[in-house]
Amino acid sequence: MSNAKRKTKTSHTRTKPKPRQLDGGKLAILANRFGGICSKMGNTLLRTGRSGVLNRAKDFSCCIVTRDCELLHAEESLPIHVLSGPDLMAKSMQEFHPNLKRGDVFLHNSPYHGNSHPADHTLLMPVIDKKGVHHFTLLAKAHQADIGNSIPTTYHGTARDVYEEGALIFPAVQVAENYEIKEDIIRMCRMRIRVPDQWYGDFLAMLGAAFIGEREVLALGEEVGWDMLHVFTEQWFDYSERRMITAIKKMPHGTGVAKSTHDAIPGTPPEGITITSKATVDTKKAMIEVDLRDNPDQLACGLNVSEACTRTSIMIGIYNSVDPTVPKNAGAFRRVKLHLKDGGVVGIPRHPISCSASTTNLADSVQNATQRALAAIGDPLGMGEIGCFCPPSTSVVSGTDPRTGKPYVNQLFLGHTAGGAVAYQDAWLTMLHAGNGGMCFIDSVELDEVYTPIVVKTRRLIPDSEGAGRFRGAPGIEVELGPIDCRMEAGFVADGNINVPQGARGGGDAARSDQFRRQASGRLERLDQCSQVWIEDGEMMVSIACGGGGYGDPRKRDPERVRHDVEEGLISRKRAREIYGVSITATNKIDLKKTKELRRLRR
Amino acid sequence: MDFDRNTYMRFACDTGGTFTDLIVEDDNGALTMFKSATTPDDPVRGVLDALSHAAKDRGESLDELLSAGSMLIHGTTHALNAIVTGNAAKTAFLTTQGHPDILVLREAGRLEPFNFHIPYPAPYVSRSLTFEIPERVDSVGGVMLPLDENAAVDTIAKLKKQNIEAVSVCLLWSIANPTHELRIGALLDKYMPGVPYTLSHRLNPALREYRRASSSAIDASLKPVMTRYLGSLTERLAESGFKGRTLVLTSQGGMIDAHELAERPIHAINSGPSMAPLAGRYYAGLDSKLPNAIIADTGGTTYDVSLVRRGRIPKTRETWIGQPYRGHMTGFPSIDIKSVGAGGGSIAHVDEGQILHVGPESAGAVPGPVCYGGGGSEPTLTDACVVLGYLDPKFFLGGAMQLDVKAARKAIDNKVAKPLGLSVMQAAASVVGVATENMVQAISEITVNQGIDPAEAVLVGGGGGAGLNSVFIARRLGCPQLVIPETGAALSAAGATMSDLSSDYRAMFFTTSTDWDEKGANAVLRDLETQCKAFQKGPGKDARSHNIEFTVEARYASQVWEIEVPLRKSRLSGKADLASLVADFHASHEEIFAVRDEESDVEFVGWTATVSCGVGHKRTGRLKHTADEDVVIGRRKAYFESHGAVDTAIHSLHSLKPGKTKKGPAIIESPFTTIVVDPDAKFMLAPSGSVVITP
Repeated sequence: MSNAKRKTKTSHTRTKPKPRQLDGGKLAILANRFGGICSKMGNTLLRTGRSGVLNRAKDFSCCIVTRDCELLHAEESLPIHVLSGPDLMAKSMQEFHPNLKRGDVFLHNSPYHGNSHPADHTLLMPVIDKKGVHHFTLLAKAHQADIGNSIPTTYHGTARDVYEEGALIFPAVQVAENYEIKEDIIRMCRMRIRVPDQWYGDFLAMLGAAFIGEREVLALGEEVGWDMLHVFTEQWFDYSERRMITAIKKMPHGTGVAKSTHDAIPGTPPEGITITSKATVDTKKAMIEVDLRDNPDQLACGLNVSEACTRTSIMIGIYNSVDPTVPKNAGAFRRVKLHLKDGGVVGIPRHPISCSASTTNLADSVQNATQRALAAIGDPLGMGEIGCFCPPSTSVVSGTDPRTGKPYVNQLFLGHTAGGAVAYQDAWLTMLHAGNGGMCFIDSVELDEVYTPIVVKTRRLIPDSEGAGRFRGAPGIEVELGPIDCRMEAGFVADGNINVPQGARGGGDAARSDQFRRQASGRLERLDQCSQVWIEDGEMMVSIACGGGGYGDPRKRDPERVRHDVEEGLISRKRAREIYGVSITATNKIDLKKTKELRRLRR
Repeated sequence: MDFDRNTYMRFACDTGGTFTDLIVEDDNGALTMFKSATTPDDPVRGVLDALSHAAKDRGESLDELLSAGSMLIHGTTHALNAIVTGNAAKTAFLTTQGHPDILVLREAGRLEPFNFHIPYPAPYVSRSLTFEIPERVDSVGGVMLPLDENAAVDTIAKLKKQNIEAVSVCLLWSIANPTHELRIGALLDKYMPGVPYTLSHRLNPALREYRRASSSAIDASLKPVMTRYLGSLTERLAESGFKGRTLVLTSQGGMIDAHELAERPIHAINSGPSMAPLAGRYYAGLDSKLPNAIIADTGGTTYDVSLVRRGRIPKTRETWIGQPYRGHMTGFPSIDIKSVGAGGGSIAHVDEGQILHVGPESAGAVPGPVCYGGGGSEPTLTDACVVLGYLDPKFFLGGAMQLDVKAARKAIDNKVAKPLGLSVMQAAASVVGVATENMVQAISEITVNQGIDPAEAVLVGGGGGAGLNSVFIARRLGCPQLVIPETGAALSAAGATMSDLSSDYRAMFFTTSTDWDEKGANAVLRDLETQCKAFQKGPGKDARSHNIEFTVEARYASQVWEIEVPLRKSRLSGKADLASLVADFHASHEEIFAVRDEESDVEFVGWTATVSCGVGHKRTGRLKHTADEDVVIGRRKAYFESHGAVDTAIHSLHSLKPGKTKKGPAIIESPFTTIVVDPDAKFMLAPSGSVVITP
């Protein structure tokens, strides 16, 4: 068998006549089937993953791109993982491996070739039919607990370049041939990635997802015909574009500019990094354009945002204001035009600059600035800023477990809120951070205490910390945790202490974040926002994570919602009175007369 | 040994959203099926109505019928309704100091990341009724902070002041050391006597505090309402002459005495639907040799799918009331039923981009599909079936209702055909096609979660609407066989007649394949078996048969989601037993997830014993039949996607001759259901009474 020599056809040679156009019923059916394949892949990853970041926090995504490297389906994935990136990665896979064969699998984590950041290992699997023709590419992407960085964290905020960062970079490297794993690569990883069994387990989980997806797409292609599937993708893109046009035409027309600032960390200017986004909604042309060129150059730190994440963050900012039933795919994306800066801190940073924390910190600033730029155009566009990542409650912790004597490393997801408000609804509480869209799970205290030698003393929402508004942002959350019978190293890159999450269209800002070490004596000692610290036995770490910004004037908030927040202990009567202009009695009733007065006075 | 059939008559009554289904199992095992309208204001009345209906049919008084009965098995939506309509008790939540937001934060997670219209769900018990108790236990059961009893007593005083009707107590690590929870229980008994409470470790000894907290909060909140409801049911049955035993179906697919359920009412949440797979398993066993079965129950607004995997009915630990992440998790295993918004009432609409959608919006019972003439204006799946000629407008529900074909056609034409540029018939076929695909996706999801290939499964169609498109569903899935049981229209009630008295006992005990603690594992199994035996001697003492099954939840090292592996024996001894258990785990993991990791340690976490005590007939009886002539009762045009309009023979279910295979197209009608067989399929009435179709 000269399988290897058979040239893979990726060109559009069609032997059969083009199948007829599909009607609206058939289109819906095929779209559903592709969706079903994605969820099967996702289910496999969740259930079989080994690291907590995967099997507890669900920090993974699965998607399908066409043979032309266009995103076809990625519903229910982590937004920051997929809107852009899979297309770029599939392109680089085809460029580096022009002769794709059935059973090939490629490992890709290079932010310089379309991946989000090095911690998101991605497996790409081309779907190749019996004749050797490439039709689709499947992606299974999962945030790893460790990737061999120079320090035990997957977010190396202060790394001046990829060398200091230390991650192993795989620009679409072949890891399986004819469905067999290439052990060379596995051995390499086992030597350079902490807790290698855990990594390998996660690798197997991703491989299982890719195999299951491939099996399904092959079956689908054989059942309905490959040509039919390609007609479907074209028509589905057209449909999605039409839906996008209709959605944009319903929006207010105009241009808005907004800024969002990330606090300083080592390697950034002392005033922090300010991201500026200029958004234009053109209802006549049915186009949304976002310009991100007016931004600083790439910096010698790990906060640079890869091209995939820059594009994706802008698009999340946009799609958070678009009718949610519009499919997110290459068809709908035809109505979005992005302008990026080559060599920018956000935009297209160039090798060897580090993009270690590319999915979170500044990416969130891009999204937040874009959302507030849209809000500046008019109600109901945009939203309040979504709170900042990543506080100590979401540290990567490591050390030696005294119960087993074995080393451990993992990212905790012990406490996050962060939701920002929109024009018609209060925040979704557990957003984690902007790019995550609330998809992550939050750790069970009990589960973390079993898997990690820690104790979680406190986890509670913080009253009066929400971004006020006609609709309000999420309150912040306080978590206090520490090691048990051992010392523990914790790494985090927090934000939101100096520059807090801002409200939109008159909405209030959220309260600031903070982080402390509680010494054995009980004394609190403030920690740096970007830290890699040892917490000793008997000490605790106190994490104050911020909530999100509000939307609209708080004095226009429905008094009943204010009353309910007071009753629930989320805001104080004082705040109800002073910020919302609502008077709540000691028995939690609205004092209508006083409320009217308060609201009139503040006009 | 032959079971003496002349000892009793049994009633199985399932109260659904629209209909209350009743199956009467006669002294001689023969079944009769009845339906009456569900009466939401007083569901017991609906039960009595159905029974009166049966009495009338037999020419007896209600008292005569009931006094001949030995057992009434009841499926009820009352618990679920109480939650959905906000009629559960005013409940307080007591938890460990420092962790007041367990019910607020839940386990996070979200559907539709770009949809900000959906509000963040309110906690099951509000923060204002949540109270922190100073105490803390660690993960191995050590007391880090002793319980502050004075603080607990002060809290109870506050509860009294606020007129709390039920109390849920969930402390961190109460599963490792229950002393603090037990003490709070004792204090509640002392200072708030009569107010029901639930202790999380007792109700649901599971890891993950949210799940335990949610279980206990839901359970406590249902205690007052379910005690009242079940009390009223048994009282009014007794007043009407019933002297037998009243049993209620549980979410786990078993049944327990009504007064026992009142003590643990959370188990009634999926009462009823959980029976469909039981009936499905029975009929699949009679009519098919395939190893697995997919059971699909079509209702008016939902399509419920469940499985039988090699004779076992899989359970899920994640049961949600409402949608995942937007509702509340019960924290309990239940029969794994996937429910999607697809049914006869699902509305078809074309969006602005010219794509057809069917459901999840439903016309419900009111106003109902357009053809019902009840004021509905949106075309539904039922309307499409009328237009296609699948449903006889004059013989709907045995002629009890006339359908308006014209109105249905007009609605399909205006709202589907014209926007899509199709003929009315093509449009109606598309509606059926999209609905079929929605149902297929629901099935695919649940089968893949359990590693079942539909090509090795029989599809069992239940519910009044199952016959309309099940042939298409089976073909699309690649199922080689479709079975529509004769009791299909009341599948849950039929399942109830086959249900066993049963109870689950669960314990947490951690051991691994490398550090295998055989003694420890066997001690846990022994303890579970003792509990099962006590059940056999208690509620199960009059049972015909007893059975105890053991399973273990296991995973690879550092995974957190376990899969359930049945044990081959009640005790494990020696290397060989461990090796076969580990081999079973690898095989299950590969079957479900396509990969295995032979090198990895296997961790065993939760151990379960399920006791079941058979109380029914060994074999379920047949519906009473009158005719056995094989005649075609009529012909009409029916439209099929791939064949166009085809002249189709109409059969009555009761006029088919058993054992003879016929070719489609055909439509088989009975008062309760209509079965559509397209031209590519073959069908046969099996001796069991089921219609068996080869799609």
